[in-house]
Amino acid sequence: MAAGGAGSNKTYSFKVVLLGEGCVGKTSLVLRYCENKFNDKHITTLQASFLTKKLNIAGKRVNLAIWDTAGQERFHALGPIYYRDSNGAVLVYDITDEDSFQKVKNWVKELRKMLGNEICLCIVGNKIDLDKDRHVSVDEAERYAESVGAKHYHTSAKLNKGIEELFLDLCKRMMENAQADERLKGNGSSQSASSWRGVQIVDDDPQATPAGGCCSSG
Amino acid sequence: MMSQRRGIHVDQSELLCTKGCGFYGNNAWQGLCSKCWREENQKEKQKQIQDDWALAERLQKEEEEAYANRHQKSQAPTNATPFSKFEERKSKEKSSKVNTVTKFFIPSSKTPQKKDAASLDSQSSPSPSSSVSRHSSVDSDQATKEFIDFLRPLKSGREIFKQCRAFTESMVYKRDMGADELSECVQDFYQNLSDRLHTQFKGSSDHVESIMDEVEKYMMTRLYKEVFCPESTDDEKKDLATQKRIRALHWVTIEMLCVPVDEEIPEVSDSVVKAITDVIEMDSKRVPKDKLSCITRCSKHIFNAIKVSKKEAASADDFLPTLIYIVLKANPPRLQSNIQYITRYCNPSRLMTGEDGYYFTNLCCAVAFIEKLDAQSLNLSTEEFDLYMSGQASPHWPPATGASSISPSSTTLSQVHKRLDLLTGLGQRQERVMEKARQLENDLIDWTDEVEQKVQSVLESFSPESQTPAAATATVGETTSAASSAIDSDNVENELLPPPLQPQVFAG
Repeated sequence: MAAGGAGSNKTYSFKVVLLGEGCVGKTSLVLRYCENKFNDKHITTLQASFLTKKLNIAGKRVNLAIWDTAGQERFHALGPIYYRDSNGAVLVYDITDEDSFQKVKNWVKELRKMLGNEICLCIVGNKIDLDKDRHVSVDEAERYAESVGAKHYHTSAKLNKGIEELFLDLCKRMMENAQADERLKGNGSSQSASSWRGVQIVDDDPQATPAGGCCSSG
Repeated sequence: MMSQRRGIHVDQSELLCTKGCGFYGNNAWQGLCSKCWREENQKEKQKQIQDDWALAERLQKEEEEAYANRHQKSQAPTNATPFSKFEERKSKEKSSKVNTVTKFFIPSSKTPQKKDAASLDSQSSPSPSSSVSRHSSVDSDQATKEFIDFLRPLKSGREIFKQCRAFTESMVYKRDMGADELSECVQDFYQNLSDRLHTQFKGSSDHVESIMDEVEKYMMTRLYKEVFCPESTDDEKKDLATQKRIRALHWVTIEMLCVPVDEEIPEVSDSVVKAITDVIEMDSKRVPKDKLSCITRCSKHIFNAIKVSKKEAASADDFLPTLIYIVLKANPPRLQSNIQYITRYCNPSRLMTGEDGYYFTNLCCAVAFIEKLDAQSLNLSTEEFDLYMSGQASPHWPPATGASSISPSSTTLSQVHKRLDLLTGLGQRQERVMEKARQLENDLIDWTDEVEQKVQSVLESFSPESQTPAAATATVGETTSAASSAIDSDNVENELLPPPLQPQVFAG
């Protein structure tokens, strides 16, 4: 997707999907990040499935759109519809639940297969306030994250730990990706106008379309 | 008989043409004869045509004005006083304006003085058939007018309009192209235009977005008929398949989908109904953006329903099942066509990152889920699923063998049962009331009889006294005492009656 663009005062727009099993705290995590609230009766948003956050990183404006996904097993097959054209993915597991970590591994495999290395991955072990019930070892999780080129974070939505850092780092990496893309575009000079369709397009030759090229074909 | 005959009698004069030309008229021609009717009709048609042309002329004028405005800028970009040349420009424009009306309907072969290669090319393209003018219906005219109004204050408004119009008209020639190629063309056009606008407005992306919205509105209103559910695709077939599928799944309940919504709460069921209405309404809109806002409104109602039911903000885990439930309930018309149309022709930035895009994605997910739905995804056994699908059993009335098992009956059904129970109870009570009423009636009748009897007997017992007031005291005393005792014996149960009158003995 066209997240990049010319000009130094360009606003970046990133799409980040939240993946993970139900009940690992995806929603709490994002509500804590965007509203700084946890299990609060006074949550002002009607919903916690699509949230946006405006950031300013190194003088650049960033619009972050966070897409929550349904975590139930029966909706697993719908994943590709959600994560197409994402710039980043936050994969959440519950440190007290070994199964949820397995699910994350499945997601990583799928994402790498479908989207390659374009997408920035963050693996997040949530609920570190329940460390005494930990079932996923820190070592194993961090080693795994490194092996698949993802960053690993420990968070607690309840105690508000690690969440700011997680999203800030993700944004920085996505910006690096976007800037690398821009440079690539600048060199190749062929602007792939068809990128809007993301994964729907199998292999369309991005022909160098001159300005208003399609009008001339009339 | 006479009056009836008079009713259908028609005077000779009434049959004549109302214009008084002497020929017979006809009701179908508003009482005119064929000759006068033709004349009259011609006049009306002429008037209609004139009106249409007037509108066209007006639009064209506005366009010219916008052009003049724009042209001046492009002619003298370095000129610090763009308005100084305005009048001059305008007069020039007027003189060069030939045959404005035809120009409006048919993309003129007259080359504009503008140096834009793209629009130049399409402008000099072979003159199109009248089909272009045919689909410039009232809606399109409205859209054109609004678009021109919107672009007027922009310095490049004229150029934008020219390009959009040229592109829209060029689409007519691409009718035999596949839907994907057409959408590719439109998307390329969006992309090019927005890139150019970005460089022009130097990063003010909000502004560019609003222009792109208007561009989309203008173009898609005009192209809607051509590109919505085109014959070259199997969209229609898919529509029918989805519709049939949803109809076959009518038995799916809230519990099977784990929808966290309690429809017994009035506000919630209200929101559910509104959500259903909104998702159905999507089909009636022409512009992709308007269709998207229908989906967004539907989603907001769903969130409200969830929030009221669960008392917390809805997450995606709650939202998607509820949306699936709403789609199953609504069975929106031409669902696949609408989804395809939006994917093909919507402004990409809206679809990819915005809130509308998120809800649209969820709708796509819901449709994908419904298409692939099987026993497992509803936590049912394969046999149960097949039974329900074939219509041999229903979760509301489980098969005889499953009578003991607690079947997940729908809330509506349980509500119906509850109300039926209530009705039966009311009926019983009504009967009891009626019974009591009848008893009361009988009692009343008995009582009146009794009272009558008593009055009768009292009257009887007192009559001799009244007739012979001056009878011998001794005998009277005897008889009255006897009578009174007889009366009293009648009234043993009623002690409230005043004591009988005692005869008084007048000595003297």
